[in-house]
Amino acid sequence: MSGSRSGSRHLGAVGFFITPFVALFALFYLVPIGYAVVQSLYQVKRTGTFGPAHDVFGGLVQYRRVFSDSPFWHSVERVLLFGIVQVPVMLGVALILALLLDSGLVRGKRFFRLAFFLPYAVPGVVAAIMWGYLYSPNLSPFTALTAHVHLLGADLVLWSIANVVTWVYVGYNMLIIYAALLAIPTEIYEAARIDGAGYFRIAWSIKIPMVMPAIVLTTVFSIIGTLQLLAEPQVFRSFSTAVSSTYTPNLTVYATSSVPNFHLAAAFSVVLALATFVLSFSFLKFTQRRGVQ
Amino acid sequence: MSVLSRRAAAMLVMAVCTVYFLTPLWWLFVGSTKPGGRGVGLWFDHFQLGTNLHAVLTYQDGIFLRWLVNSIGYTVGAAAIGTLLAAMCGYALAKYRFPGRETLFNIVLGGVLVPATALALPLFLLFSKAHAANTYWAVFLPSLVNPFGVYLARIYAASSVPDELLEAARIDGSGEVRSFFTVSVRLMAPALVTIFLFHFVAVWNNFLLPLIMLGNQKLFPVTLGLYTWNSQVDQRPELRGLVLVGACLSLAPMLIAFLSLQRFWRSGLGAGSLK
Amino acid sequence: MRRTLAILLLSTLSITACSSNSSSGDSSTGAAAAGCAPANGPVTLSFTSWVPDIQKVVDIWNQANPNIQVKVQTGPNGNGGTYQNFFNQLKAGNAPDLGQIEYDALPSFRVQDGLMDLGTCSDVTAAKDKFVDWTWSQVSFGEQGHVYAVPQDAGPMALFYRKDLFEKNNIKVPTTWQEYADAAVKVKAAGGYITNFSTGDPNQFAGFAWQAGAHWFTNDGTNWTVSLTDPATSKVAAYWQDLIDKKLVSAVPPWTDEWNNAYNTDKDWTWVSAVWGANTISSGAPKTSGKWAVAPMPQWTAGDQAAGDWGGSSTAVFKGSKHPYEAAKFALWLNTSTEALTALNKAASLYPAAKAGATLPALTEGVPFYGNQKIYDVFSAASAQVKPDFTWGPTMTQTYADAGDGFKAAASGTGTLLKALTDAQASTIQTLKSQSIPVKG
Repeated sequence: MSGSRSGSRHLGAVGFFITPFVALFALFYLVPIGYAVVQSLYQVKRTGTFGPAHDVFGGLVQYRRVFSDSPFWHSVERVLLFGIVQVPVMLGVALILALLLDSGLVRGKRFFRLAFFLPYAVPGVVAAIMWGYLYSPNLSPFTALTAHVHLLGADLVLWSIANVVTWVYVGYNMLIIYAALLAIPTEIYEAARIDGAGYFRIAWSIKIPMVMPAIVLTTVFSIIGTLQLLAEPQVFRSFSTAVSSTYTPNLTVYATSSVPNFHLAAAFSVVLALATFVLSFSFLKFTQRRGVQ
Repeated sequence: MSVLSRRAAAMLVMAVCTVYFLTPLWWLFVGSTKPGGRGVGLWFDHFQLGTNLHAVLTYQDGIFLRWLVNSIGYTVGAAAIGTLLAAMCGYALAKYRFPGRETLFNIVLGGVLVPATALALPLFLLFSKAHAANTYWAVFLPSLVNPFGVYLARIYAASSVPDELLEAARIDGSGEVRSFFTVSVRLMAPALVTIFLFHFVAVWNNFLLPLIMLGNQKLFPVTLGLYTWNSQVDQRPELRGLVLVGACLSLAPMLIAFLSLQRFWRSGLGAGSLK
Repeated sequence: MRRTLAILLLSTLSITACSSNSSSGDSSTGAAAAGCAPANGPVTLSFTSWVPDIQKVVDIWNQANPNIQVKVQTGPNGNGGTYQNFFNQLKAGNAPDLGQIEYDALPSFRVQDGLMDLGTCSDVTAAKDKFVDWTWSQVSFGEQGHVYAVPQDAGPMALFYRKDLFEKNNIKVPTTWQEYADAAVKVKAAGGYITNFSTGDPNQFAGFAWQAGAHWFTNDGTNWTVSLTDPATSKVAAYWQDLIDKKLVSAVPPWTDEWNNAYNTDKDWTWVSAVWGANTISSGAPKTSGKWAVAPMPQWTAGDQAAGDWGGSSTAVFKGSKHPYEAAKFALWLNTSTEALTALNKAASLYPAAKAGATLPALTEGVPFYGNQKIYDVFSAASAQVKPDFTWGPTMTQTYADAGDGFKAAASGTGTLLKALTDAQASTIQTLKSQSIPVKG
C-alpha cells in the first residue's frame, strides 16, 4: 500500500504525526479504561449496615454476577436484533443518497447535503422532545397514524427508536461515503463511459467497489454504535412506558454506576466491550476474506 | 430511461428524503415561535418568535448567551486542533509503514469499544488529581481526542493521496511534514472538512463530559445548560418553552459552520496535479 | 512501545491508589472537623443545589455574612446526574461542603460514608423541634443524638380534584379509598378517568404505601430487611391493580405534554399528589383554572388521619468539609429563617419542612387556580399526619428502577403490580449483597 522504501527512513516524521494524538488518547482513553478494568476485579466489603466500605480484590466475582444477570443478556439480544435490521437499512439509504449526490443528476446538492446532515446536529434532549411529540397519540401532527398504531407500546417501541437513530445518522454516514466518492479520480469514469457504461453500471462496478473501505468503516461504526445504544433509549424512557432501565446493555452500565456500584458497572462495560470487539472484528475479517478491502 | 426521467426520479427520491429529515426540524422551528413553546401542529399559531428569543436571551441575566459563548470556546478550538491531530495520525497510518502500525490502529479501535459511561468516573478522578476538575480544560482537553477521525483520515488519505505525488515531492527535496501540509492536506480537503464537521457536532452536543466535570454554571456549554433547564421544568414550567427556543438557536452555529465550509467539498481534486 | 505501556500502567495504578486513599484518608480530615468548632477568619463554602434561582437566596446570606461566603454550584437534578457527581467527588476527595440530597437518597450517601454527622453541632441538634417530626427522622435515620442533614422541604400528599366535574356529575368527594374506587366507576361512566396511574413514579406509590403504614426497609444496625410486599403494600398494590384491570385509570406517561393534555382536556379528574403538584397542574392544564379544589388524601379506614409524602430534599454537609460549623450554620439559616424560606418558596415553590413555614404569608393565602381555596392549610394538616418511621433503602435508585420497570409491564398488561414489587424486592436484595451491605434474605 505505501511505498517500499518509506520504512525506517521516515520514523521521525511518523513520530511527529502520531505522537500528539496518541499521547492524548493514552491519557484520556487508555488510562481510564485501565482503571475501569482493574476496578472490575474488585468488590466492596463493609461492616454493619452503615459501616464504611473497603475495596477488596474479588477476582472474577463481578463477572459471575454479569453472566447470571438475565435482563442484561435480554438487552444484548435486543440490540443485536435492532442492529441486524437497522444497520443495513440505514447504510443502504446512506449509500443510495451518496450515489445520487455524486451522479450529477441532482440539482441543489448543497441544500440536500445540509438538509440531510442537520438531524445529526440535533442534541439528544431535543430529539427526545421532538419525537415524543411526533409519536404521541394525541399531540402529534400525524394523529391519523399515531392514534391507531401504538408506536410507543412494547411491540413497536424498539423500531420507533430505530427510526430515530436512522433519522439522526443517515446524513452522517452519507457524508462519509460521499467524501470517499469525491476522491475517485474522474478519468476512471471517462474510460468507462467511452466503453458505453451507464449510470447504474458505473455505480455498481466502479463507485461502490472503490468506496468499499468507507462502507466497511461505517458498518463497523454502526455496529459499535448499536451495541452502545444509550442516548435514544434513555430519552424514550421519559415518554414511553415500555422502555425499562435495562433496555440496552449500555443503559444497564449507566444504571449500575448510578447506584453507585462502579465495580459491577465496570464489569458490565468490559463484557460489553468484548462483545463489541468480537462482532466488529468478525465483520472486518469477513470483509477482508471476501477480498473487499 | 431518458436523462430527464432519470433526473426526475433522482429529484423525487431527494424530495421525499428531505421531507423525512426536515419535518421534525420544521416542527421544532414552528414550536419555538409559539407562546410557551406549546407546539401542536405543523403550522404557525400566535407567532411570537421575537418575544421568545428575548425571553431566552434575558433569562437569568443572559446565562444562555454565556453558554453559547462557552460552547463556541470549547468546540471550535477542540474540533480544529482535534481534526488536525486525528488527520496527522490517520495519514501516518495510511502512508507509512512502521513497526506497531496495525497494533496502534487496533488499540485506537479498542478505545472506542468501551462505553463512555464507564469512563466518566476515571476521567473525573484524573482531572481531580490534577486539580483541574470544574475548569475549562476538563472539558476542552478530552474533547481533542477523536478516534473515529483517525479511522476516517486513514481511509481518505489512502484513497486521495497518491504515493507517486509524495515521491515526487520527496525528489523535489520537500520534507515529509512539509509535504503533508502543502500537498496532502489540500488533497484530503473534503475528508478533513467532513471529519471537522463530525468532530464539531460531537463536541458541541456532548453533555456527558461537561456534566461530570462542571459545577459552575458559568462554564456550562449550551447542551448541558439546556439539559439542566429541562430537568427544572417541573418547578419552572416556563422553561419548557425556553428549552425549545434555545435548542433551535443552538443549531445556528452548526448551520454557519456547515455553510461556510461548503466550498471545501470539491470533486476531482486528486487527479489534476499529477499530470 | 514497552516504555509507553509502563507509563500507562503507572498512571493507572496512581489513579487507583488515589481513589482508595480518599476513602480511607477521610478519617484524618474527619477527625479535624469532628469538633464542629468555628473557624478563625473568613470562610468560603461551596454548595451544590439544583433548586432554580437558589443563587438569589444565597445572595441574601452572602450580603449579611461577609465572613462566611457561600459559592453556589448547580446542575441537573439529583437523579439526572448530580448524585452521581457527588459520589464521584466523594471518591476524588473534592466534594463540596454542602449539597442538596432528597430524603430517599440520604441512605445511599450514608452507606457510601459521604455524610458528616452533625450531631456534634449543638446548633443543629437544638433545631430539632423547629422541623416537622417525620422530616427529622428522615435526616437522622431515627438515631438519637445524630443527624446527617438539615431538612429543607417536604411533599405531603393530598387529593387534587376537579370540583366542577364532581359537582356536575353528583359525585361525592371521596374520603376513603373505597369511596375513591366507587367514584372511579362513576367518572368512567361520565366519560373520564378518575386519575392517571403513573408507572414512571414509583415514589408516588411509595407515598401511598407510606400512608398505609408500610415499612419497606428496616435497619436494626446489623442487618437490613427489605419488605416491599408487606401486608400494607400488598393492600395498596391490589387496590391499584384492580383499578388498572377495570380500566378505571389512564396510563399516560407522567411529566409529558400528553399528561398535561389529559388534565387540560378533562380526561383525568383527580391527582393524588404532593403539595408541589399544585404548580404542575396550574402550569400544565391552564384551561382548567378555577375548577380545582384540594381535599385530604383518601383514607383506608373512615375517620383515619394519615398521609403519605412524595419528595422533599435536605441540605447535607459532606464528609471532608473543612468547615462543618459554618456549613451547618448556613444550612440552618437556609431552612429555618423566614427570609430564606420565603425566598425559597418564591424561587421554586418549595414547601418548607420547618414548622414555621406553614405561616409564611405566601402559604396562607387563597389560590385562584384552586377556586381561591387556601390549599396549603390542607397540606399543612397532611404534613403533620405523615408517619415518622418510614425508612428508605440504601440503593433506592436500583429499587425505583426495578419497581418502575415492573410497573410499566403491569400497566401494559404483561404483569401485576404485586409481581413488580416482588421482583424489585429480590433485585434489591441482590444489589445490597453485591455491595456487601448486610441484608436478611
